[in-house]
Amino acid sequence: MEVVSSGLPEFEYIHAESIEQASTFLLDESKDSRLFMGGTDLFVQMRAGARSPSLLVDVKHLPGMNDIQLKPDGSLHVGAAVNLNALARHEDVAEHYALLAEAAQSVGSYQLRSRATMGGNLCNASPAADTAPAALVLGARLIAQSGKDERSIPVEAFFLGPGETALQRGEILTRIEFPSPPKRSVGRYLKLGRNAAGDLAIVGVAVLGFPDDEAPSGYRFRLALSSVAPTPLLVPEVENILSGETMNDERIQAAARTAQQAAKPIDDVRATADYRSAMVEVYARRALKAVWAALRRDN
Amino acid sequence: MAEKMKSPSVPSPIGESVPRLDALQKVTGEAVFTDDLQFGADLLYGRILRSPHPHARIKRLDASKALALPGVKALVTGDDCKDRFGLYLKDRYTFCKDRVRYVGDPVAGIVATSERLAEQACRLVEVEYEVLEPVLDPVQGAQDGAPLLHPNLKEYIVAPFIFPQHGSNISNYFKLRKGDVEGAWSKCNVIVEGAYRVPHVQHVPIEPHITVAKFDHSGNVTLWASSQSPFAQRDLIAGSLGISPNRVRVISSFVGGGFGSKAGVSMEALAVMMAQKVPGHPVKVRLTREEEFYCSFVRQGLVSNIKIGADEDGTLLAMQTEFYWDAGAYTEYGVNITRAAGYSCTGPYDVPNVWSDSYCVYTNHPVGGPMRGFGMPEIHWGIEQTMDQVAQKLGMDEKEFRLKNCIREGSITPTGSKMHALDLESCILKAAEAIDWGKQEPASAPHKRRGKGIAIMWKAPAMPPNAGSSSIVRFNEDGTVSVGIGGQELGQGSHTVAAQIAAATLGVPMDSIRISYPVDTQYSPYEWQTVASRLTWSMGNAIREAALDARRQILELAAEHWDEQPDDLDLHDGQVISYKSERSEPLKNLVVYGLPKEDDSGWRGGPIIGRGMFMPNYVSALDPETGQGPRAVVHFTPGCQAVDLEVDIETGQITLLRVSSAFDVGKAINPDQVRAQMEGGVVQGASTTLLEHLRLENGVPVNPNFTDYRIASTVDMPLKTIPIIVEVPQDDGPWGARGIGEHSMVPTAPAIANALADAVGLRIHDLPLSAERVFKALRDKEAAT
Amino acid sequence: MTTHKIALTVNGIQEQVEVPSNMTLLTMLRERLGLTGAKNGCAAGECGACTVMMNGEPVNSCLVLAVEAEGAEIVTVEGLSNENGLDGLQEAMIEVTGTQCGFCPPGGLISARALLDRNPSPSEDEIKDALRGNLCRCTGYVRILESVKQAAKGG
Ligand SMILES: Cc1cc2nc3c(=O)[nH]c(=O)nc-3n(C[C@H](O)[C@H](O)[C@H](O)COP(=O)(O)OP(=O)(O)OC[C@H]3O[C@@H](n4cnc5c(N)ncnc54)[C@H](O)[C@@H]3O)c2cc1C
Repeated sequence: MEVVSSGLPEFEYIHAESIEQASTFLLDESKDSRLFMGGTDLFVQMRAGARSPSLLVDVKHLPGMNDIQLKPDGSLHVGAAVNLNALARHEDVAEHYALLAEAAQSVGSYQLRSRATMGGNLCNASPAADTAPAALVLGARLIAQSGKDERSIPVEAFFLGPGETALQRGEILTRIEFPSPPKRSVGRYLKLGRNAAGDLAIVGVAVLGFPDDEAPSGYRFRLALSSVAPTPLLVPEVENILSGETMNDERIQAAARTAQQAAKPIDDVRATADYRSAMVEVYARRALKAVWAALRRDN
Repeated sequence: MAEKMKSPSVPSPIGESVPRLDALQKVTGEAVFTDDLQFGADLLYGRILRSPHPHARIKRLDASKALALPGVKALVTGDDCKDRFGLYLKDRYTFCKDRVRYVGDPVAGIVATSERLAEQACRLVEVEYEVLEPVLDPVQGAQDGAPLLHPNLKEYIVAPFIFPQHGSNISNYFKLRKGDVEGAWSKCNVIVEGAYRVPHVQHVPIEPHITVAKFDHSGNVTLWASSQSPFAQRDLIAGSLGISPNRVRVISSFVGGGFGSKAGVSMEALAVMMAQKVPGHPVKVRLTREEEFYCSFVRQGLVSNIKIGADEDGTLLAMQTEFYWDAGAYTEYGVNITRAAGYSCTGPYDVPNVWSDSYCVYTNHPVGGPMRGFGMPEIHWGIEQTMDQVAQKLGMDEKEFRLKNCIREGSITPTGSKMHALDLESCILKAAEAIDWGKQEPASAPHKRRGKGIAIMWKAPAMPPNAGSSSIVRFNEDGTVSVGIGGQELGQGSHTVAAQIAAATLGVPMDSIRISYPVDTQYSPYEWQTVASRLTWSMGNAIREAALDARRQILELAAEHWDEQPDDLDLHDGQVISYKSERSEPLKNLVVYGLPKEDDSGWRGGPIIGRGMFMPNYVSALDPETGQGPRAVVHFTPGCQAVDLEVDIETGQITLLRVSSAFDVGKAINPDQVRAQMEGGVVQGASTTLLEHLRLENGVPVNPNFTDYRIASTVDMPLKTIPIIVEVPQDDGPWGARGIGEHSMVPTAPAIANALADAVGLRIHDLPLSAERVFKALRDKEAAT
Repeated sequence: MTTHKIALTVNGIQEQVEVPSNMTLLTMLRERLGLTGAKNGCAAGECGACTVMMNGEPVNSCLVLAVEAEGAEIVTVEGLSNENGLDGLQEAMIEVTGTQCGFCPPGGLISARALLDRNPSPSEDEIKDALRGNLCRCTGYVRILESVKQAAKGG
């Protein structure tokens, strides 16, 4: 078994002057360099001996990293170093991206969230990352910069496996961009943990629903899961099932079953695969019902 | 000089919710805990290399690379250990000599200039192990032919009331036979049998274990430890070093939560041995949170088999219990928990025919220690669920069944003694009423079910018959009082209660009392240990004795001075007063400097110091074959909890709506603090019921951290907790007080299980009642119907 | 390993400290500045005993590097009271017996102070939510919540 140390191992710390400089450090093959934001994942891993970078690169202070901007086209740009409390309480986020705020607030504790960032949550690529399902249903894009090059990665293509992302060596996530959410959309993030709140997810379900005249059912729903597959998981079939025919409880039940089938849970110390699988169905149904109820109320 | 007598203005603080004496220190960050002490540049740090195997022989140990690391000061291994030590059964060396018996067993200790360096050095120690077959289950471990953890058990030194079974893994066997159980079954109309399991849990004090040890150049040892047992540590550690306890000094500041884990000796002995290698240097050893979970003490696991029978009127006739304690690799307290379980085996019921076998079994699991309740939460888990089923089979209301059969004054206990005065019936009635027992109430949603449950309990202080307390009461020049005690403030409020007892006895205002602290075995009067919920009662008696002694001296002095009889005098509001002559004199005028004689011929009196002690002298040995004896324990505190809950039948999640607690505490010296114990106990009880389980896979702890060993936080507490005090005085307690600290988490688990059964008709025999376990049980039940 | 000279304000006092990269804010406060109020309970951001205020927001000081506190304003439990007396939360906690062993209040009080700063009259659920990262094993939280409610009432 891993023996956990009393404190952090030794490393050098760099307060980078620019993203370009930071990526130079990260690209330097002679060093095992690592970027960090809040360190709430990284420091815990380092103390446990799971990672031992020789250099930590701090870029949180660089321009744009802490910005939250609602663009004129309704899209939202979130700097990678924005902490989860700042994200959740931002007026524009609360008003237009309530799902994102809800997901952010489900993480750990308040004091943890004053450090933990959405950038770190996504880049850490835990299957349990609570902001990932929201990012998936909102269709986020991740802006990564290496040197002066920038590219935009759709979130569906970002998670490759536990702890693995599409970022290349030297690439730094600088910003998360959310397209303007569909008109009159409603979102929910439901999370099952061992404690009533604040635990890592056994199952997390994000649902975004919105009225759509072109859909035979009059609605469209997107659903994504956390903690039940090697990566956070978008379940696109749900959209088809719920847009096709008239919405009712049976359709929702069918969609929840589909989510359950899409999940590939494993046993871990938090729960068995069996329980997770059963809970995906329950939580997917509850989240879909909650969103549908809100849509009918609002529209 | 004599002033006119004043009318009484200070009401007695007994029974008053006076504010905690330590609260101001604790909310300002001023309160000093052991890790807060400053030691300067001489301070070194110790870290421990621990066994990665549950059971193995150490074939070779080479620390040369570790010792070569600059900054490494010393190494300690089993080779440095002299004698085995232990509280009741001397079964372990501080560091393993040739065999490791659990994952975490200390193999070597490294002293270095920093914790980090000591850890690095630990990784450089090469150890070759020969892995041995482990014992991972107490029932199997108790069988003949199981691999033996302690082949030399019969050589170990043992207390007279502990019975190791040589040639086996059984470190204590407690046997109880009362009446004719075999004959009684045939008279029973209802018999319910079942097996119940309790997993290992940990105490989870928020302050992990910490000790700083220092050997001075003359070989005297000082230990600064977060400790429930400074005196026991002094004695045991001296024993392990082969030196006089007089050369060991233990100083203990505030303790950041104990719950039993900081009783006796666990990691403190490691620090001492490491410090021995570097005389003159204090050596700090603190457990990481991860180590805390499996390297100090855990609560033992339990497998219990329970069989209970009653006649058609619902009168209990017979009860048979078998307890297999998963005691772990060594047994600091486990042997005595086994004994306590045996003599408390019926729970708080009047049962004429009783049979119990309680086995303490060595396993290759973390060391079992005492935890809040000392075996009682574990045994009541099965007993109280079985009682519910007996009631249900009889068609009786569960509350009425308990009222009919519960222990009362004059009942005969399982060990054959007569029960003292107590009022469990009131506890049952009041706890039940507080949650509207008998009233069916709707659940809050279609996928939820609501249920109510009740459970009762008893617990006696489990300790050697001669566990003593003492106190010294010293007057200061201004008439204030320093109260010397050896009991620890763990949060339970013992300082405040100590001050209340001293103030009330001495007739001085509360703010005249100062508790001498921290406990320092060099200056503080002896206290056996701060365990067993015994301080208010035992230490309280000692303080009262000491205060009475001081009071007597003052009255005699004043009587002589006034030429009156001491019987006509009293202490009140910081004065000595005479009811006869109506004279009075402020204490400050006489308690240190004495009083001048009338004719200037000299002085009388002098500094007033009262001494007091308390040691029960009536606890008798029990017959090893029957467990019968005149008096097994000093007393029992009884109580009841009632639970109103909701369960989500789609997820298995339980929400506690209301939990009421009613305990007969004899006399609540400080009612607010008594209620605070009940509130805290309920949440610790609920947490261990719903969330907690130290998971051991092939002996390896897989969740020794807060990420995966969850405890209740604010969001998990019951929506409402209702603490209720019942008071029927204890004959030998100060003002009739008995203990309450541990009791409040004893019935919580079965009360929740009984409420769950009421909600969904389901009996779960294993803890914890995690959402997943409840969900699966519901699903299985549905599949079966 | 290189060290870093940092300047910061702790409880209103300007401090300059030289710290190695891997030193946490908690260790710096406790071992370099002798401010032992904040406690080390898990070193993993779970128990909350190390919570301090950093630029007005509570953080787990065990998960912040000391070098990251360059230029920061830190308030620890020792800084909650001043010449003018105790914080209302401290007073309330004394009054309602909100503490037992005393190991968690240094962190819990900081979380509660931050809550009242951003929300002067929180609901019971809001209090629970704000304090869910401050584990307490003694009190069952009942009187901790009571303290916060009382302090909020007191304004
Ligand atoms: C007590 C506790 C409770 C927690 N509870 C939850 C929970 O409920 N839900 C949940 O989802 N998580 C939880 N976490 C995990 C963690 O807090 C979150 O994942 C958090 O959002 C991580 O953000 P961070 O800024 O701290 O990441 P960091 O630790 O700084 O970084 C995480 C990883 O991402 C990499 N990285 C960070 N930023 C970038 C970037 N800009 N570009 C490229 N790579 C980058 C780092 O190198 C590192 O490997 C918890 C952690 C703790 C300690």
